[in-house]
Amino acid sequence: MSYTEEELVARLTERFPSVTTTEQRERRIWLTSPREGFIDLLTYIHDDLGFNMLCTVSGLDAGEEFQLIYHIAHDCGIVINARVSAPADNPVFDTATNIYKGGVLYELEARNLFGLTILGIPEDIRYPLPENWPQGEYPLRKSWVLPADRVPESDEQDTPSEDTPASAEGASPPVIASEGEAEARQSTVAVASSISDTAQNPASSSPAEGSDNG
Amino acid sequence: MARVEIPLGPQHPALKEPANFALSLDGERIVGAAVNLGYNHRGVEKACEARNFTQCLYFLERICGICSHSHSTAFSMTVEEVAGVEIPPRAQYIRVLIGELERLHSHMLWLGVAGHELGFDTLFMLSWRDRELVMDLLASICGNRVNYGINKLGGVRRDIDETVKETILKVMDQFEEALKYYISLATTETTLAARTLGVGILSYEDAVTYGAQGPTSRAAGLDRDIRRDEPYTAYADIPFQVITDTHADVFGRVVVRALEMVESCKIIRFVLDNMPDGPLSVKFPRKIPPGEALGRYEAPRGEDVHFVKSNGTDKPERVKVRAPTLANAASYAVMLQGNYLADVPIIVAAIDPCFSCTDRAISVVDNRSGREGSLDWKALRQYSIDWYRNQGVAFDGLNRKG
Amino acid sequence: MKLADKIMTWARVKSPWVLHFNSGACNACDIEILDSLTPRFDLERFGIVLKGTPRHADVLLCTGPITMQTEERLLRIYEQMPEPKFVVAIGTCACSGGVFNGCYCIKGGTDTKLPVSAYIPGCPASPAAIIDGVVKLLGSLQE
Repeated sequence: MSYTEEELVARLTERFPSVTTTEQRERRIWLTSPREGFIDLLTYIHDDLGFNMLCTVSGLDAGEEFQLIYHIAHDCGIVINARVSAPADNPVFDTATNIYKGGVLYELEARNLFGLTILGIPEDIRYPLPENWPQGEYPLRKSWVLPADRVPESDEQDTPSEDTPASAEGASPPVIASEGEAEARQSTVAVASSISDTAQNPASSSPAEGSDNG
Repeated sequence: MARVEIPLGPQHPALKEPANFALSLDGERIVGAAVNLGYNHRGVEKACEARNFTQCLYFLERICGICSHSHSTAFSMTVEEVAGVEIPPRAQYIRVLIGELERLHSHMLWLGVAGHELGFDTLFMLSWRDRELVMDLLASICGNRVNYGINKLGGVRRDIDETVKETILKVMDQFEEALKYYISLATTETTLAARTLGVGILSYEDAVTYGAQGPTSRAAGLDRDIRRDEPYTAYADIPFQVITDTHADVFGRVVVRALEMVESCKIIRFVLDNMPDGPLSVKFPRKIPPGEALGRYEAPRGEDVHFVKSNGTDKPERVKVRAPTLANAASYAVMLQGNYLADVPIIVAAIDPCFSCTDRAISVVDNRSGREGSLDWKALRQYSIDWYRNQGVAFDGLNRKG
Repeated sequence: MKLADKIMTWARVKSPWVLHFNSGACNACDIEILDSLTPRFDLERFGIVLKGTPRHADVLLCTGPITMQTEERLLRIYEQMPEPKFVVAIGTCACSGGVFNGCYCIKGGTDTKLPVSAYIPGCPASPAAIIDGVVKLLGSLQE
């Protein structure tokens, strides 16, 4: 089963006139749909057109609105990128997981990182944010910036931070390894030939002599 | 609306240790499984918005220390598409070459990890020793064993000259010879078969439903491979087989990866024989016109997807990365269900997960006795090896110390 | 091999048991650590043994930057180790946070939380550099 891009654009435009459908290039179709009817659109794409592979869902902070783009692929290699949006002051979407079951992880990620509402997926799961991530902070929003007290300490700081445990017994100054690999970096041919000697006899596991001076 | 089955945990929030896997058992059988996937979240996508495109390229290479070239190439391809830049054919071929070498090292690494999880430590030692052939090759071509940095926006940074080409061919001879042993091991070794046949089943239908990728899905008969379905870089010119299997279990995943390595060697030879002449790169603008693109790449673990939106500046508006392990991890709950606790290590390892192998914790609840407990990964692995040894299935005879 | 003789002496005097903890790494350094145990590099011939529990470990090998998710766990593991104990930061991310500094779940390198005795840079740190660094640490302990 295969399609041409023109054929898909024609079918989608005819069936969903309120949806803007464009062919960006070979194998890439982009749709923009209002929230109303978006789930019907995805159902058609899955059931009627046979696009059964949801690659991922990309969330976007577009200022006045938030967008979700469902990137859906077909075995023939064409990807439909279906975009739905909601106003920034009330970003509510509907889940597509009744159609694309495996998409729950992608919706959770977009929801939790952008602070959206996606009806139909569990509200208590914070994936991918850690359990100790502050509530109400949505890091992928353009307006969110890492607070100054959570910026990692810079390299210039010599004294350890206050909550570092005391060093053991008057520790000597830290050791810094040199790039010892200069000695170990032999020409590929030399190393390859020494390994091939042991490759003749897989039962033996002794390292090739003299090939590595760590 | 009915609650969608979420394969995420923890199932028992009363447990103090955050578990990567939370299992419900009935005796020794797993009746429920939940996976915690967020523990490796770093905030990479946000950080990309503060870096210019070139910085993003070398940054994204470090998302994963096994498939760095996959992320680097997927990102380059996508940004080059947004910018409307076509890279020279020679660069495309070199990207394929490094990509297939990466596939070789990744699958060999996996073979060793699988061996280690099963208690077949000789396989671990041998496969990682042979993997060194590829690591040395990558280091001599690119300058680093990992994070090769071969890509730049607009092409590649280093050439493959005649000396390098001869070295690669010589290593391919040795590697293909070594592969024969692993293939025979994968397909005929009875203890390996006893530990992997019928274990961790993911049916064709479930693979489609949960969006499984790469060898995990091809082992269930899904005939999908981005290199063939949507050829990128130079794959449209290169003849190769997509390897599928029908076992749909861990055994299938072993076989698929072993045979894929054979195909990768063929691809590498073809690339070297047919590499077009020409420049290695074209000039690439610092600021990129506004636009969006979606790039797909067949990484060793499956499909790697990059979405990039630009806004006319030198920094991206949005970068979205979906690595294959995430897509495969959604299938864990299904793959673990109905198996023995002793099968957990190999089932988890069999999707070739791109997260740390050292620190996974398991929480276990036995529905019969009501007892709860947690295990660290090493304890679970030892339990699994001992459990099977009690049934007469062990690699002790095959593990030799010299 | 002069270097190997010196190392053998140290190994007889002190055979460190090490614990490996990944606090948020991309896995590259973890793999290079495991690689250094394989026959080609063979860290075990220096008496270095990888242990599964902090209670038996002398040396903690840390990879990756410290993340919000792993910070507490890392500290708990360190506290469970008996004295004397030493921490080695393996890889650029463990040394300083590396490329991930600025990411919102990242706290920084290992030394933002623990006292580090040896830094092994590299992205990733190669097995040869890891051996070099661990051997130097053993050497400094002798003094």
